[in-house]
Amino acid sequence: MAPIIVPKLTNKKAGNRRVSSTAVPSNSDSLVAIRDVTFKYGARTILDNLSLDIARGKVTAIMGGSGCGKTTLLNLIGGRIKPSRGQVLVDGLSVPDLSKKELFALRKRMALLFQTGALFTDLSVFENVAFPIREHTKLPEPLLRHVVLMKLNTVGLRGARDLMPSELSGGMARRVALARAIVMEPMMIMYDEPFTGLDPISKGVIAKQIRELNDALGITSIVVSHDVVETCLISDYAYLMGDGRIIGQGTPAEVQQSKSEYVRQFMDGRAEGPVPYTYPATDYLDDLLGGGAR
Amino acid sequence: MIGRKAVEVWVGVFVAAGILALGVLAFRVGNLTSADVVNGYHIEARFDNVGSLKVKSPVTIAGVRVGRVSEIRFDPDTYQALVEMNIDGRYKNLPTDTGASILTSGLLGEQYIELEPGGADTYLKDGSRIKVTQSAMVLEKLIGRVLTMFIDKPPEKK
Amino acid sequence: MNVLRVLGGIVVHGIERLGRGTMFLYEVVAGSWVLVPRFYLVIQQVFAVGVLTLLIILVSGLFVGLVLGLQGYNTLIKFGAEDSLGLLVALSLVRELGPVVTALLFAGRAGSALTAEIGLMKATEQLAGMEMMAVNPLTRVIAPRFIAGVIAMPLLAAMFSAIGVMGGQMVGVGLLGVDSGAFWSQMQNGVDFHEDILNGVVKSFVFGIVISGIAVFEGYDAVPTSEGVASATNRTVVYSSLAVLGLDFIMTALMFGGI
Repeated sequence: MAPIIVPKLTNKKAGNRRVSSTAVPSNSDSLVAIRDVTFKYGARTILDNLSLDIARGKVTAIMGGSGCGKTTLLNLIGGRIKPSRGQVLVDGLSVPDLSKKELFALRKRMALLFQTGALFTDLSVFENVAFPIREHTKLPEPLLRHVVLMKLNTVGLRGARDLMPSELSGGMARRVALARAIVMEPMMIMYDEPFTGLDPISKGVIAKQIRELNDALGITSIVVSHDVVETCLISDYAYLMGDGRIIGQGTPAEVQQSKSEYVRQFMDGRAEGPVPYTYPATDYLDDLLGGGAR
Repeated sequence: MIGRKAVEVWVGVFVAAGILALGVLAFRVGNLTSADVVNGYHIEARFDNVGSLKVKSPVTIAGVRVGRVSEIRFDPDTYQALVEMNIDGRYKNLPTDTGASILTSGLLGEQYIELEPGGADTYLKDGSRIKVTQSAMVLEKLIGRVLTMFIDKPPEKK
Repeated sequence: MNVLRVLGGIVVHGIERLGRGTMFLYEVVAGSWVLVPRFYLVIQQVFAVGVLTLLIILVSGLFVGLVLGLQGYNTLIKFGAEDSLGLLVALSLVRELGPVVTALLFAGRAGSALTAEIGLMKATEQLAGMEMMAVNPLTRVIAPRFIAGVIAMPLLAAMFSAIGVMGGQMVGVGLLGVDSGAFWSQMQNGVDFHEDILNGVVKSFVFGIVISGIAVFEGYDAVPTSEGVASATNRTVVYSSLAVLGLDFIMTALMFGGI
């Protein structure tokens, strides 16, 4: 296992991003490496000294309750925010240090699927999927049409090409967004809550799609979700987050058999456990009888 | 969603209408055609008082505009105002004894220079000077003159 | 004490937003050269912003012209100066009412629409999605709308003034009996292209920049919720209108007041 050469965190205008300073021993099959990352939003600490690896070519799940920082993690990987401390490495590049141009070049190789699909409401399904091609390439129209129809066919929506996003159901919108995400053949796709709000059939369809795409295209997938069942079915490795930290990790089988209290509460969906049900409040009897302002 | 062709057509119509409106304003509402002097030559004249004459005030002959005032300066040697006029090149036959008077348009309107051609055989050229000038009527002086006329003139019924 | 703190907070907040807005607009304009080969994006926005505002501008212009004709006549006839009605109507429109009223209407209709559209795109993560696809939303979405607003405003103001003059003529000459020859000749003699018309165009151009700039910034800066977008739209209309009126005074003083 060769150590990764880690670029120094210097002033990006100095242009010496590639100068090595420390070699951090780690798994060289990681496409994404998060090292000791802390992220604060104002006074709140969202991520606390977090470290994880996303293996190349595999589907990695990141699960956790609401507000545990999963989406923040995706935003860090995508370079939309910078960590207060720590390193975020994608394919050997330190994301927070990239110049605007380099960041854009990196983003062309990554795809992020939003929870809502984030389709452009003023464009048809066809135009939505064609968007990245039109923006980044000068592909002639007939070829463009072929590529778009092929990708739409992969998600089973070739016949819906002329519909507008407002006419699509939630599941269909997400599949169109998926087609748009793969149209530039990225090396990695990040899914932000792909199963939330879908009926069981759509959930099964999306899950199948994620797994098949990953294997067929040889890409890396990160699935951020709190849908335990579907996620565990399709993932090769899983991380469980809580309070901005990793509280459990392993293959889906290992996680499901974990003895940790945190993990058990999450996996089994228990109301009570390390994550409290009640919001902190004063004594109940005092509150009722105190006759205060409210 | 309107088709691409329709959008382009409508935008073209819009821009054309806008430019047309600007043209209407410039030529029909404003005075752009009777615009500026073509191939002008400069002549100058000295006045004791230019009143409210301004740069770009009209210069007329027989009431027709033939040029504009291009510059108004104070001449410290003669204590007079030096007015430079830009005359349209079409009017090359102004005699050298032409006179220039500053008149007022209407009773209270803007002031302009009216040229009265003389009878000489030589013509004004670029840089020539008009010798015969009549300054602007200053209203206060006029009133003062009328009043003194009344005071000086003995009352008739005596 | 608290009042002072609140006041200070508001001022600091305002200056911070002004600074951020200026830098934002600078980025938008600086990166907009890439639109030259893709001019259709701008054309699309000129349609949305200009063509669709045309109707309200033309109708308002007509009515303002009609009213100017009526009111102008009523006042001038007292001095026997009704022949100057054309001059009065034309100068009022070209110097002031054309640019300013058009700007206010534009802010209300097109400005608020721009803010709402951009704010909604932000709230539904379309802008974020675009960023993640390595497409700069400032260039692709914001710049065309800003440029379209700047192009459309002077054209709309010119059309407002032109149709207003015709409205004034309809009332003055057609209805009230002012002599048509006097109406037009006094106007043509009194309205100077450089002094009056060009200044009016400069005013409307400045208004276009200000309104479009405020509209796109408020949309981009909106809180990505439905209340956030609504209050951003509200701010656009209020701030643009105030800015237009304030700048109008300053520009009038500079252009016509000899200050």
